[in-house]
This record gives sequence, C-alpha cells and structure tokens, in this order.
Amino acid sequence: MKKRVLSVLLAGVMAFSLAACGGGGDDSSTEGGEAAASGDENTLTVFAWDPAFNIPAIQAAADDYKENVDPDFNLEIIEQAQSGDIETAITTAASAGDYSNLPDIVLFQDHYIQRYISDYPDAWVPLGDIDINWDDFAAEKLDYSTVDGEHYGVPVDGGTVICAYRTDLLAEAGYTIDDLTGCTWDEFMEIGKAVYDATGKALLCMNSDGNDLPYIMMQAEGVSQFKDGKPYITENETLITIVEKLVQMAKDGTLLMPNSWSDYTDKAIQGDQVAGVMNGNWIIPTIEKVEANSGKWEITTMPTLEGGEGYASNGGASLYITANCKNVDLAKEFLAYTFGGSTVTYDNALKNGGVVSTYIPAGETEVYQEGVEYFNNQPIYADIAEMGSHVQTIEQSDYHYSARNYVGAAIVNIINGADTMEALKEAEDQLNFEMGN
Amino acid sequence: MKQKKRMTLLGKQSAAGWAFLTPATILIAIMAFWPMIQAFIMSLQTGSSANMTWADPLFNNYTRMFQDKLFLRSVGNTFFYLIIQVPIMLILAILLAQLLNNQHLRFKGVFRTCVFLPCATALVSYALIFKSLFATDGLVNAVLVNLGILESNYNFLGNSASAKAVIIIALIWRWTGYNMVFYLAGLQNIEYSVYEAAKIDGANGWKTFWRITVPLLKPTIIMTFIMSINGTLQLFDESVNLTNGGPANSTITMSHYIFNNSFGSGGVSNFGYATAMSFFVFVIVAVLAFINMKVGDTRD
Repeated sequence: MKKRVLSVLLAGVMAFSLAACGGGGDDSSTEGGEAAASGDENTLTVFAWDPAFNIPAIQAAADDYKENVDPDFNLEIIEQAQSGDIETAITTAASAGDYSNLPDIVLFQDHYIQRYISDYPDAWVPLGDIDINWDDFAAEKLDYSTVDGEHYGVPVDGGTVICAYRTDLLAEAGYTIDDLTGCTWDEFMEIGKAVYDATGKALLCMNSDGNDLPYIMMQAEGVSQFKDGKPYITENETLITIVEKLVQMAKDGTLLMPNSWSDYTDKAIQGDQVAGVMNGNWIIPTIEKVEANSGKWEITTMPTLEGGEGYASNGGASLYITANCKNVDLAKEFLAYTFGGSTVTYDNALKNGGVVSTYIPAGETEVYQEGVEYFNNQPIYADIAEMGSHVQTIEQSDYHYSARNYVGAAIVNIINGADTMEALKEAEDQLNFEMGN
Repeated sequence: MKQKKRMTLLGKQSAAGWAFLTPATILIAIMAFWPMIQAFIMSLQTGSSANMTWADPLFNNYTRMFQDKLFLRSVGNTFFYLIIQVPIMLILAILLAQLLNNQHLRFKGVFRTCVFLPCATALVSYALIFKSLFATDGLVNAVLVNLGILESNYNFLGNSASAKAVIIIALIWRWTGYNMVFYLAGLQNIEYSVYEAAKIDGANGWKTFWRITVPLLKPTIIMTFIMSINGTLQLFDESVNLTNGGPANSTITMSHYIFNNSFGSGGVSNFGYATAMSFFVFVIVAVLAFINMKVGDTRD
C-alpha cells in the first residue's frame, strides 16, 4: 500500500513538472513583465548598461524632464550588465516575434544599430515628426541612427576621437603636444620612436584582437571600408597605406599591442605603459584612473596622412523607442525635450557621468568650458564638442564590425609575417563571402 | 476489476516498464528531439531571425560552409586539438590510473583527489587562470625568464603556435583526472587473481599491462575515447576565454565560430547558417563515434 502511495506521489510530481514545462511559455510574459514596458501612463522604462557613464546621463535627463515639464513623470532605468545584453534582448524578442519583454526605450550602440534596423525593422519605432532640430547635432553622429532618411534614435554620447598624450614624456624626448597637432603620420612615427627611445613607452596602443585604429585613421581621411555597398579594401590605397604604417609602428615598438581589450585598459593604459592614447572620448575615465599622472595629460586632434588635423568618431550610443512602447507620444516628448535640446540635461550628463554630447549648442555652456585638472586644466570637453562637429560622414554598412574584424585580423597576420596584399585580399574575400557577394 | 487481475505477470511487468519510461521519453522528446527538428528546419532557412525564408537552393547553408575559409580553419583547428590532445591525455590518464591503483601505494586518496581536482573547476575560471598564467607578464614568463630559459617575456597568447599549445596544455590539465577516474573504476573491476596468475606464468609488468590490463579495459577506453572526441569537437570555453579565437582567428574552434555567427559582435545573427554548421559538427561526431565503436568491437 505504501508503495502505491509513493508511486502516485512520484507520478504526481512528474505530471506537475511536465505541466510546469508546458506552461512556462505562457508565464514568461507576465514574469518578465517587470522588465517590459510599463502600463502606467506617466512612466517609461529604459535599458542602459553603464552605471558610471550613461546611466547617470539618462538619470539627468529624467530629473530635468520631471523638474521642468511634468512632475508626475517617472523614468525607470533598468541596468544591464553590458551593451551586448541589450542586443541579445532585441535579437531574441524579434526572433520570437514577442516584444513584450522589451522596455519602452533602449540605449543602443551606434555601430550596431544599422544592422539591427535592417534585420529587425519591426522592433523599432521611427521618430517621424518628433520635435527636434536635427541640424543642432553633429552630422556624422546622426548618420548612424538614420536609415533611408528616417530618424530612429536620439543621440546620447558621442564617440569623438581624442588623442591624449603625456606632455611630460613628450618633453623628455624633446617634443611638445603642438608637434603632434596636425602632423603627418610619418612625423608621428618619428616622434613615436624618439619617445620610445627616451622613455621606453609606446605612443600608440591597440588590443591585437581589436580594430579601432585602422577604422578611426581611415575616418580621419574621410575614407570608408565600403564603397557603394561593397567592401573597399584591396583597392583602397588609403587603407593599404594605413595598414602599412600600423605594421611599421608595431615593429618599431611605438604601437603597443596587448592581447585583449582588458589588457589594453588595465595593463597598457592603467599600467602606465603608454605615452599616448587614441580612441573615442569614452576612454577618458580609464586614463583618469592613474591619479599619479594628473596634470600630465593633454588632448589634441588626430594626425593625418598628408598632414592637417584629423577628426574621427568611434563608438557612442543613442536612445531608441522599441515596438513594445505603449506610450510613444510621451517617449518622443521626453527624448525631444531632454537629449533633443536641453543643455541642462547635457550639463548634468557631463558632470555626473562624463558623457560628452554631440549636441552642438551644449558645447557652449559654462560646464563645458571649465578646465579639467587631470588634463592640465585644458577645457577638454569644449574641445571635444568642437572636434565632434568636424567629423566627416563616411559610408556606413550593416557589416561595419565584420569589416573591422577582418581588417584587424589581417594586420595581426601581417605583423606575424604574412604578405600585406595577401592578408588584405583574404580579409576582403571573407567579408564578401559573409555579405553574400 | 476481474479483468485486471487476470493480467499476466509479464504483462504487468511490461506495463510498469512503460509507465516508468513514459515520463522520461516525453521529456526527452520535448526537450531534446523537438528542438533538434526545429534546428534542422532552421538550418534550411536564411535571413534575419525575425523573418526567415527558405534558402535557395534548399541546402545552400550546407554547401556554403565548405567555401567559408574561416569555418574550414575552425574545423582544422578543432581537429588539430583533437589529434594532439586526446591521445596524450588518455595515455597520461591510464598511466596515472595504473600508478594510483597500486596496492602498496600510501595516501592513495590524497593523490586521487589531487588529480581529479581540476575537474571540479569551472571551465571559464580555469580558462581565465591559464590566461593570466600565460600572460606576457604572467607567472610562466616570470619563471622561465628567471630560470634563464627565455631571454625576455614571451607573448604566448599573441602567437598562433604557442596559443594553440597553451590551449592543449590547459585541456590536458583540466580533463586528465576526469578520464583517470573512469580507468580507475575499470581497473578495480579486474580481478587481482588474473594478475596473480600472470605473475605465476612469468609475465613482466609491461606484458601484464598490454596483455591483461588493456584488453580488459577496452570498453572503458572506447568510452573515454568517444567522450573525449565528442568533448573536443565541441570545444568552446577555452577558445572564447583563453584566446578569444585569436591571434587573428588562428585558434578559433567550430563551436566558437558557430557562436560568433549567432550571437557574435556586430549584430550578426545568422541563425540559419549557424545551425547548419552545428549539424555538420553533429554528423562528424556521429561518424567518429561509429568508427570508434566498430574498431573497438570485439565480437566476430
């Protein structure tokens, strides 16, 4: 008898667990409801990922809107561990055709958005008649969030490239930052060698599984990795010259190539192995972590192949309204008022998160004009905002990062002894293959 | 009621058997076989995952992978790991098992625990530990430089050949103990009297090992072989965490490449192609396991 009771119990447990499996699909929409768009008409939800950078910026916008427009407004910022989590959330939601787990608004990386809009057009809400004067923004920045003339995103932070140099190390080698402003890459390489000989530190740095430098160097020349929607690599003289220069610098020891991104930030930059850093301005907080070097850094523009100041942009993100947004009008009003044109938002975003905007009027406020002690009291934010307005628009593609990855891999192969043109041909073939050309 | 009582003993047993089998069968069918069928259907499709269409021609994803140099390289890398790592690991495991099975050895428990302990480490954590050990300023470099073997710090993970070697060393460290446990269990099933008889007949240690231990361990050896081949073909964590496939994709494995095609950087979500490649891996594993079982089959 006991056995029978036991078997009934066991069978019951199994049946229950089966039911739980079957029912899982229905439950998830309500369980995940916390993260989903809120039904409350004064509340919006947003996904963002960096509690030291973009979350304070979005919070500043929420506070601004609450104080100056609608006291009942409430913005719920849901922190994600990394930007990739938001991309995966969009991919899974769109693949399942069920957007209910998405928030009203997501912060999304600029370089990724074009691919996501073309792959998952139904996941996004175009901004249409939103009340924003787009001319106030850097054209290059808007280029990412605009697809077929339709605006999808409101810019938050820009990726304007800075070249930060250690003035004390340059002085040891007999140079000043002015020598590096508007110089040619050949002059840069000479100075790099002198700095390396005098101090043992590299003037340039890039992680070897990365691809930031070739891309930003090309952008400073106004050249893309794509031409008319096709890969533009082996016939691209500018790209070939840039790759050759990078390889030469790596051989000279003036370009340091740590193995991974974390080695780049933690060992190379924070481990005080470099005399210069060239990347999007979001790298500034990483540089500032070495307190001992306060006052020794300054920033300037990029070198170019023919000489003259170069401007580029790398990274940055914008806010996008998702298909799950129940209150599109409120979302549009909020975005238009804050990141669409409020210097209060931008001032606080800079103060609290170090977020430098691409909204041109923001660069004129007092907060932007203040000198930064770490950078020898240079008003770097005003400078960055100014630089951002000069960045040239170049051809973008859904395969932006694929192209960068293949070119980056080619550079590593060339440094390890492969033939330049063969390695670049392989990169181009692989990219063509991936694009289905 | 009377009808039921007349059920034969055999019938009862078989009914009970089915009753016990059913829940597991249903669960496996829902959790494993249904997704497999879905995946196969997906592998014939193409396009963004929100709006997939049938590939044209239907098996395009399958023919495509043989023109994909990067995929072929990942296949090559995976087989490179397989061919070098599996034999070394299994021989080491069998030797260690033999040593630790010695009747006169003291502190057996301690040694066995030590050898098995790496298996208790999570894959990601051990990969990260190896990454820091072999970093340019890591422990291995410090030791080698101080011993005078290397002149200056060597970038192990920045060079394709040494990065592959590091992955293989890491794999051997992680999995030898695991296989050793199977051999130990196998060895303990061999009657000691068999060895005694051999000793009386005058067989030395080497002969005993080849003529008695290896044949009697054959089922275990085949099992570990299949498991190791299977595991190595699906190698993922080491490639992702130790080298991130680098330098320049020279250490990438098949699973890592499949992952890059589904959730990799740059918004690539080529699920159709990725599942097709997964099926290719599945076929390779099945074929290799089949060959292994045929080779190891002792029946005539």
